[in-house]
Amino acid sequence: MEAKQSLRIAMVGRPNTGKSTLFNQLTGMNQKVSNYPGVTMERTSGLTKLAPGQLAEIIDLPGIYSLHPSSADEAVVMDSLLNVHEEGEVDVVIGVADGTNLKTCLFVFSQVLDLGIPAVLVITMADDMAHRGLVLDHAALGESLGCEVLIVNARTGEGMEAIQPAIIRAKASPHAPFFQPGGIHLQWLAALQEGDEYIYKTWLRSLSQPAHEAKIRESGRGPKRLRADEAIQRYRQVNRWLGSFLTSYPEQDRRFSTKVDRLLVHPLWGSVVLFGLLFVIFQALFYGSEGPMVAIDEMMTSLSQSINAKLPGGFFTHMITHGLMPGITGVLMFVPQIAMLFGFIALLEESGYMSRVVFMMDRFMRPFGLSGKSVVPMISGTACAIPAILSTRNMEDGRERWLAIAVTPFITCSARIPVYALIIGLVIPDMALMGINLRGLVLFGLYFLGFAAALAAAALLNRWKRSQVKVKVPDFLLEMPEYRWPQPRNVGMMIWRQTSSFVKEAGKIIVAISVILWFAASFGPDHAADFTQDRVSVPIEESYIGIAGQFIEPVMRPLGYDWKISVAILSSFVAREVFVGTMATLYSVGDEGIESIHATLASQINPETGEAFFSLPMGISLLLFYAFAMQCMSTLVVVARESRSWTLALTQFVLMSLFAYVVAWAAFVALS
Amino acid sequence: MNLSNLRIGQKAIVLEPEEGVSVKLFEMGCLPGEEIELLFVAPFRDPMCFRVQGTQISMRRSLAKRIPITRPHGS
Repeated sequence: MEAKQSLRIAMVGRPNTGKSTLFNQLTGMNQKVSNYPGVTMERTSGLTKLAPGQLAEIIDLPGIYSLHPSSADEAVVMDSLLNVHEEGEVDVVIGVADGTNLKTCLFVFSQVLDLGIPAVLVITMADDMAHRGLVLDHAALGESLGCEVLIVNARTGEGMEAIQPAIIRAKASPHAPFFQPGGIHLQWLAALQEGDEYIYKTWLRSLSQPAHEAKIRESGRGPKRLRADEAIQRYRQVNRWLGSFLTSYPEQDRRFSTKVDRLLVHPLWGSVVLFGLLFVIFQALFYGSEGPMVAIDEMMTSLSQSINAKLPGGFFTHMITHGLMPGITGVLMFVPQIAMLFGFIALLEESGYMSRVVFMMDRFMRPFGLSGKSVVPMISGTACAIPAILSTRNMEDGRERWLAIAVTPFITCSARIPVYALIIGLVIPDMALMGINLRGLVLFGLYFLGFAAALAAAALLNRWKRSQVKVKVPDFLLEMPEYRWPQPRNVGMMIWRQTSSFVKEAGKIIVAISVILWFAASFGPDHAADFTQDRVSVPIEESYIGIAGQFIEPVMRPLGYDWKISVAILSSFVAREVFVGTMATLYSVGDEGIESIHATLASQINPETGEAFFSLPMGISLLLFYAFAMQCMSTLVVVARESRSWTLALTQFVLMSLFAYVVAWAAFVALS
Repeated sequence: MNLSNLRIGQKAIVLEPEEGVSVKLFEMGCLPGEEIELLFVAPFRDPMCFRVQGTQISMRRSLAKRIPITRPHGS
């Protein structure tokens, strides 16, 4: 192959083959998240150095069981390899195979080879193979496949140095295709062939097009039957290869995984372990993040105070200490939680336990029109609705995917935690109830409410959807990967990617809103901005925001909120986490001094009663409002993209917010 | 006999599944002629997890009933 400026390399393989470990090893920190062309689907790509002065782009494609797509993310793989969106041909494929499960991995790889794309096969889990007494003659296998076959240990990096040179040397397999299309009008297929492309490319493209279905059926076998024939033919070939090149000692093949499963998916003990684990995670999240949150709040407060002391007074200093800093604090306070949550989720997925959760929960999710697969977005939703909604792409059932997207925003995401933590800290007394901390219990209750609302909504929507259209539900099929020790590097990369993207994306908005709010709270129609002014001294009721707040106050009054909270709620329709920063800005603008957010709010007095302003009924009403309202612009955009309909996103927005209003109102009335 | 009749630890050979069963089943490695073993089941024996061709695949009982097998052997 000619040395090009930049090769495009795609990683293709089944899920759970160590693909992401390999990808992280090859690209290091040179990764970026972008969208696939044609569809707004996130993908990770990165740069790797093939040789001195030669960089190549590696695209980490979603894991697949076959090139014939069964779900949205599998379709992306086929589109990329066939260059459907003309973003550029894939120059080399790195096929990734799990050394302990070669059969099914080679099935997918043989499909890739038949496309005529130069490829290298990288077999991972060299250590596990040795453990099991599996010995592969990889040179001979490579000879049969017509490409280089490397055995590596992606965890330790052993054997990795051979990958880059092999990529440079890679050529299209010189062998005849491993699969010969049959049972179909071959002349018809040949007529569809574009240029001198491999016939398998034509086959793959034609079989997935509904327009061709009638023509295909004329041969007597439908597209599904033809796919099945292909699978049978390919597995026969794969078994021949492995029969000749793989030596195994079955008596050593005692699976650690199966033993662990006897306990972890045990009908009784499995459930105990699952709920115990979830409980521990939520408790750890609350207690583990409380300390860092308070520390960040106090650190930023003292930073503000020293800025205030060092800089000369006036417009800009006031903007920094009362507009910018509360906004930045609001973003940073949120980082420990989001990092911890993504860490837990990465651990569940990396270890293989997530599939067991799907397995165990399947039966319980059915009454709600869902399957066990919806448990993944529901658990990820506790971190953030956006990755949760993206995680529905591997669902084969379009109806279930629609339901999961529709109800996921009810799940208590980490953006709600700072709001909950602040309000719980203000209105719920710090005492124990039967040995359980009351505040922790309230938080747990809010999580429970989120799940309950999501499931109830799913059941209702499912009923409605079923009355609209009758569709066949695809079979529920799930691979149960073996348990593996999570790779600290993969978990770390996931935490880093997600947290930094939160700080960048959400942070920008939150900080901007804080500064805008500060401006609107510091100036008013009768008080023009005066940059020379020594201090900002507009009575807040006469500021722009004060006027706007008083305008909407009548709507929010029945829920027990004053106009400042109303403004905070309005601004959190952009993103919930804005609430804390907004409250801090609004309640501190009038004050000269700078205190921590909690102290500022706790010292507010209700002018009518003379008691603490944040009362129990108002606090509960606020908690419930935040539990149910759809307050996240980014989620709305993602819902619209993923469901390909703004109708769903807008309906979600209106119904959830109305529901939140009614529940918050009812709670306030009942409690006061 | 079909897959749903297997007891944990029992093995059998997969026969031709009923019409309309997902092709993904084939592509994941569960093919006629292969040996299959029931590994474990979820509460209410549904779904069920099998090992075939070295892969562990789980499916609902309703699908398992549509996949005929030979007479089971093993424990």
